[in-house]
Amino acid sequence: MPLVDPITMASAVSKKGAASQTVTVESSASPAAETYNLLPVSINQAPLAQTLRHAQPLLLSGALTLVFSSLVKDPVATMSSTTLPLTAAVQAAYAVICLPVAGRGANDTAKKTKPRPGEKVSKKKAKEGGNNAYVLAALSLLITALVTPFIYITMILFGAPLLTHGSHTLLCAAHLSLLGLFPLFYVHGVDASAWAAVGGFRAPLDETFGGLVGALVGAWLGAVPIPLDWDRDWQRWPVTILVGIYGGYVLGKVIGGTVAWGKKF
Amino acid sequence: MPPPQPTPKKAVPAPDYKTVKAQWDAAKRKKEVEDVTKKAKGQESQATAELNSDEIKLRELRRAALESRRKKAYQSRWLWTAGFWLWMLAVHVVGIGYFTSGFLLTRLQLDDKSLCDVPPTTGERDILPAWPGKGTVDGGCWHPKTFDRAVVVLIDALRYDFTVPVDDNAAFHNAFPFMYETAVKSPNQAFLRPFIADPPTSTLQRLKGLTTGTLPTFIDVGSSFSGTAIEEDNLLMQMKEAGKTVVHLGDDTWDSLFPGYFEGNMSRPYDSFNVWDLHTVDNGVIDHIFPLMEKRGHWDLLIGHLLGVDHAGHRYGPDHPEMTKKLRQMDEFVRTLASKIDDKMVLIVMGDHGMDSKGDHGGESDDEVQAALWMYSPKGIFGRTKPEFAIPPATAHERPVNQIDLVPTVALMLGIPVPFNNLGRPIEEVFAGPRGNSWSNLAAAERVTAAGIKRYQASYYAARGMAEESASTIGSPADLWNKAEGLVSKGNWVAVYSAFAEYQKETLARCKSLWAQFNIKNMLLGIAIMGSGVLTLLVYVSKGAEDEEAIDDQELDDAEKSLEIMGVIPDSELAVNVPERKLVAAAFLGAVPGLIGGALHAYLRGSGDYYRGAAMAAITSIATVTVSLYEIKETLKTLVPSTLWGWMAAVFTLSQSIGFASNSYTIWEDSILMFFITTFGFVTALSALRIQSLPDRYMAIYHSVLFVVLGRLASSSKLCREEQMPYCTSTYYASSTSSTSALWQLAIPFAVSLILPTIIKAFLRPTRSYEGLAPAWVGYVFRAGLFMSALYWVLDAADNGDWILNLPEKTLKNLSVYNAQMVLGLAFVAGTTAFVWAPPCVSIVTSASKATPTRAQVAILGYGNAHGARYLLLPLNFLVSLILLSKPMGGGALAILFWQILSLVEIIDLNSLSNTPIGPVMLAVLGSFHFFKTGHQAVLSTIQWDSAFIPLFTVRYPWSPLAVVLNTFAGQILATVCLPLLVLWKSSPKQKGLLADISKKLGIFVAYFAVESLATMAWAGHLRRHLMLYRVFMPRFATAAVVLIVVDLVGLLVGLTGARVNTIAIGEVFGWAE
Repeated sequence: MPLVDPITMASAVSKKGAASQTVTVESSASPAAETYNLLPVSINQAPLAQTLRHAQPLLLSGALTLVFSSLVKDPVATMSSTTLPLTAAVQAAYAVICLPVAGRGANDTAKKTKPRPGEKVSKKKAKEGGNNAYVLAALSLLITALVTPFIYITMILFGAPLLTHGSHTLLCAAHLSLLGLFPLFYVHGVDASAWAAVGGFRAPLDETFGGLVGALVGAWLGAVPIPLDWDRDWQRWPVTILVGIYGGYVLGKVIGGTVAWGKKF
Repeated sequence: MPPPQPTPKKAVPAPDYKTVKAQWDAAKRKKEVEDVTKKAKGQESQATAELNSDEIKLRELRRAALESRRKKAYQSRWLWTAGFWLWMLAVHVVGIGYFTSGFLLTRLQLDDKSLCDVPPTTGERDILPAWPGKGTVDGGCWHPKTFDRAVVVLIDALRYDFTVPVDDNAAFHNAFPFMYETAVKSPNQAFLRPFIADPPTSTLQRLKGLTTGTLPTFIDVGSSFSGTAIEEDNLLMQMKEAGKTVVHLGDDTWDSLFPGYFEGNMSRPYDSFNVWDLHTVDNGVIDHIFPLMEKRGHWDLLIGHLLGVDHAGHRYGPDHPEMTKKLRQMDEFVRTLASKIDDKMVLIVMGDHGMDSKGDHGGESDDEVQAALWMYSPKGIFGRTKPEFAIPPATAHERPVNQIDLVPTVALMLGIPVPFNNLGRPIEEVFAGPRGNSWSNLAAAERVTAAGIKRYQASYYAARGMAEESASTIGSPADLWNKAEGLVSKGNWVAVYSAFAEYQKETLARCKSLWAQFNIKNMLLGIAIMGSGVLTLLVYVSKGAEDEEAIDDQELDDAEKSLEIMGVIPDSELAVNVPERKLVAAAFLGAVPGLIGGALHAYLRGSGDYYRGAAMAAITSIATVTVSLYEIKETLKTLVPSTLWGWMAAVFTLSQSIGFASNSYTIWEDSILMFFITTFGFVTALSALRIQSLPDRYMAIYHSVLFVVLGRLASSSKLCREEQMPYCTSTYYASSTSSTSALWQLAIPFAVSLILPTIIKAFLRPTRSYEGLAPAWVGYVFRAGLFMSALYWVLDAADNGDWILNLPEKTLKNLSVYNAQMVLGLAFVAGTTAFVWAPPCVSIVTSASKATPTRAQVAILGYGNAHGARYLLLPLNFLVSLILLSKPMGGGALAILFWQILSLVEIIDLNSLSNTPIGPVMLAVLGSFHFFKTGHQAVLSTIQWDSAFIPLFTVRYPWSPLAVVLNTFAGQILATVCLPLLVLWKSSPKQKGLLADISKKLGIFVAYFAVESLATMAWAGHLRRHLMLYRVFMPRFATAAVVLIVVDLVGLLVGLTGARVNTIAIGEVFGWAE
């Protein structure tokens, strides 16, 4: 109707009208954003890498089973003295031997045409550390440690004790970071667009991303038995969460690396 | 509820939005003329221009007609939708009611009475030799009488540990030492024992138990607000039959239970529900009891029921100086009273129940059932069968007496028959003789009481048409009875005594389990009604999701509208075509055969169960509605979630409902809800990374984080239930043994009044909706209301704590109550009026057009959120009053809830989730979460009865219960009122199908609570023999059931009605979109 049309609607942020329109316009105007696709990470083909790839889940779950009783008895001591260093070592070895280095390998081919802000960083990284997987692993470990406080805060927000059990929660967060995030830091570095894809759950499933999803879901499900009034020692904070993280990571990594490889949500 | 909508035809007084409409119309007309003249420019002919102006007038008329047709169509659609929700409410009420009728325990009441000259003992041999006056009231009907008169002092909520020395400094300990001292000093004159109540521990139920000697069942608990007369045989009835005079002072519950029993000239009943008043009842009892002690020939039983201790508990919690004062007063009172007792009298002081750590009661926790019993007589006839019994037990776990034991004890002491329904046994101390060795007396008392129990059991089984367990079963009551009778002839009175005691114990246990019998058929029928109701609701919600896509095409709409104005599209297009109409018709058609069939069945069977007619009507009605829903091409397949959000909604709803099968998940429900809230925020924060527009993406992440952080902040407000101990610390009140707020908590409402209006402004600003009435209402009226609520709690604290000395009594109470009434008036009366009459929150600005500076450009600020911003005024009114009626901590929690709801609405909008069920489900989760954060748990004792006295001085119907409901379900009510925001927020006046959308969203929202209600119902029925039934499952079911009804009512009366008012106001100004 011509009567209304010319009247400017100063702020026509209507839900299904203007707002969704802008979205469609944007997505069609900048196809780069849509086509920016991470490729799933492939594991090195070297025999050692293949062996370690299969051994790593066994190592992790075996270690957890072995220390389980002492973990229940004294979670902080066991986590800080045994599982955390052990897991860090296993993960570092796994990354160096099995995973492609950030800025190199499979995911590099996905990025093309336009230079993106994230790419620059990773290129630089590739130049500096690409040849030295050990340096990169150390850097990734550092970043892993740096993000741990944020995971700690997230756990508090999910209902972890605020004023007590600080070291319990922090160590648990460190495990989640080490298992779920460290391999991703190793393969993606701090490439912002890659992380946006991972965070938005648009990345394809592979061993690294599958592991993260598994660890998150495992940690979530780990909270389920806590309220039960069974009075078991293993219900102690954060044993169930930790077991959930390990179980979820191993499961997610195996599934992501095999059956669901390359699939997307 | 808003007053009826004035029809626009009545010109006076014109709603305020008319002025905006005038502006809008003027602008449009100007534009129109401009358009036409522009058109006319091309054609030289003057006549054409004239023709055009005629055409314009014609168009105007046609448009007006179209608008009124559209409005009528809208109103008619609204009525049908409301009809559908009314039907849904009826289904829920019938389902819950039917289940409850089978679930709440019922006990058959027998009308038989005990007679003085018909003792229940039948054996040839009597234990005691015949005493003078046997079989008469003067000598003692069934047992030689001990006293002529009794003074019974009932100190409400006198917990056992209040009366014994405890080695600590708690305000409620060691303040009432007299009874313990006398029991220790002269054991023959007094004894003190724990006195265990049978739950439910509400005064009405307790009085029934204390006078009839039988177990009260849960069905009566609801009648506590208006007691009904006791028909069964009881102590007072026996006194009356024997021609004795009974005098009553204090709590008027007695009057409603025993109308006409009391000597009118001497009795003084007092209002019992004014828990703010600690002294009126007590002073009344104390003032009137002493003159009566001088006139001892005039009465035989004197009952004084004092409420001060109970009220101090409700109002302040036990650990408060007021409690110490009250207990000291009681000590002094009992001390003085005892000095007036003579040899022919007995003084009984007792509590009817205890209180939990916050001073409330009603449940069955240890603290609630452990009362104290003390008897005193200078005659010195009380004895102990063992020397170590001389000192009263240190805790209530040792040597407790059942409260029903008082009934045979008092009856035999005063020489009247034991009431027919009694299940208790005589208290040992009274019959053991001063030296504790009069075993024949004990055995005789125990035997005659046991015989009464046996007689009662036989009548009960006969009346129910059931067979008693035969004596051949070892350990059955009949077997125990035969054994005990067999011992009588042997003359070993110690053995006889314990054998009959054994019989009584076993019978009592049997009765407890027998009366825990459920009517499974009714329960299943109730569950079936609720279940199919939920299913229908889900089908209703899932239907037509795909129809909605096509509607929102602005150009199509404009074209259609202009065609209609031209008269091309006939009126028939606008005819009411609303699915709800079909559903309502189906519902009524379906209900009729069910109602008739059910009623006929009841009539023919002669069962009198006409209620089944309603149940059958519900079932057949649901069936027809489901069929007609199915006709609208619906399949159950659409119910399976297809997106991540759908799955989240389903998981949040179902996992919780499955969790109600476990007492742990029920107990920790608040933590679980927070876990879900954080999960949602976490997922939406990640999902926000997919949003293309960067500002939107950051806003979405910001709101997700805010949503989660606010939830965690609110979780610091806790009121722990007993089962959560020791893993939980209450923060809702000043301490875990208090029900008053700490000083720092009083600052919370002030902070809310400072911050909250600014936050709301910040939410309105981005859509330029802080226009129209919004600045005045949000910035001044709303803020003033919040400030006055904050002031109320300061006045209340000043009144409680006697901060200001030398004030005339009640000054502060008066001030605070009038203040509260003003807030409620502001919110509900002024607020509703403002909401009905308010213009849209828009502002019309005329400026020069950028493209062609010669042309004027009219801009409407706030157009894009015209619906949402205006509707927001309604939840604000509720928010103010709910904040007033919640304690200071609860007010803070509600403010956070409102902030979270606004964030949720933004999250839903930014992530384009409005077509998923997650929005209403999260709103329901939020509402449920804040139920816990406003100081409640799913147990009876956390009901904040004192909230009835925030706006009132005394109990007044219906306002007092209404205030308690608003306090209890503040979270859910606020969430329900905000539900239309999910649809209306950022909806422009051109948005179509708002009503249908709101109704769908309300459907999802109600479905969450209906599923919860169904699940708790099913679990409570399934776990009816569970140890925790009355502690965990039954209260959770009751909570869910009441919440569902409240949500249904508020959704219909406030949500849908508010949306209607809002849409009409917007439609009047901007024209009808639908």
